[in-house]
Amino acid sequence: MEKVNILSVCGSGTVTSSMVAGKLKEKLKEKGYIVSATEARPTEALNLAKSGRFDLITFTSPLAPGDYGIPTINAFACLTGIGEDEFLAEVLQTIKNIKK
Amino acid sequence: MDADLIKINLDATTNSDVIKALGELMKRKEYVKDSYVDAVLNREATLPTGLNIGGTCVAIPHTDPVHVNAPAIAVGLLNTPVKFHSMIAPDQELDVRVVFLLAVKDPKEQVELLTKLMALFQNVETLQKIEMANEREEIAKIMEKAIS
Repeated sequence: MEKVNILSVCGSGTVTSSMVAGKLKEKLKEKGYIVSATEARPTEALNLAKSGRFDLITFTSPLAPGDYGIPTINAFACLTGIGEDEFLAEVLQTIKNIKK
Repeated sequence: MDADLIKINLDATTNSDVIKALGELMKRKEYVKDSYVDAVLNREATLPTGLNIGGTCVAIPHTDPVHVNAPAIAVGLLNTPVKFHSMIAPDQELDVRVVFLLAVKDPKEQVELLTKLMALFQNVETLQKIEMANEREEIAKIMEKAIS
C-alpha cells in the first residue's frame, strides 16, 4: 500500500473537509492507497501546501489565488455525489502522475 | 439519533428562522453552547451550506466545534421551502425543505459519521423518504439506519 498525503480544505476546516477526507480514505483504500488527510481552512492552505508535506489539495471552499506548488482539485462533486466518479478518477490520475 | 432534535411541519420564512428553531432544540438539551446559534448564523452568511442533490436541495448548517458540547444532528422538515445559498455557487439560491443542522465536536473522531451522513444526503431516495415522513420517529429511524 502506497501512502498519499492529502490536504482537505473547506470553509471552517472541519465538517465538509472531514467528509471529503473520509470519502477519499474509503475509496482510495480500494485502489491500494493509504490516505493521510489533514483538514484546513482556505487561509491556512497556502502555507501548508508549501510545507512539502502534501501530495495534493482537495477543496470545497474556493482557494485564494497563489502558487500552491501541488495539484489542487475541486471536491464539490464529493458533497453532492454528482460527478463523484469523475472526481475520484481525477484524484487517482493525479496520484499516479505524482508517484511516477 | 435523538428524536427530540427532529422537527416536522416546521414553518419558517428564512433560513435564519430554521437555524434558530433547530438550534433552540439543541440548546435545550445542552448539546450546544449559548454561542452556537449566532456562530452558525454568521457562518451561513459568509460560507453558505445549501446543496443541490440532483434536484432535491438540502442544507447542512454548522460551525466551529468550540460552540459544541456534544455531537448531535437536528433535522428540520419544512412545510414550505426556504432559501439557502449554495455552498458550491454562493450566488445561487436554492429552495430547501430538509435541513440538517450539525453539531460537530471532534471532526477527526466523527469522520465515519460525517461520511455516512454525506452518503445519506446524497441518496435522493432516502431524502425523499425523509421529505414524506409524517412522524419524527420515522425520520429518526431512517437516520439511524443510514448512519449507524
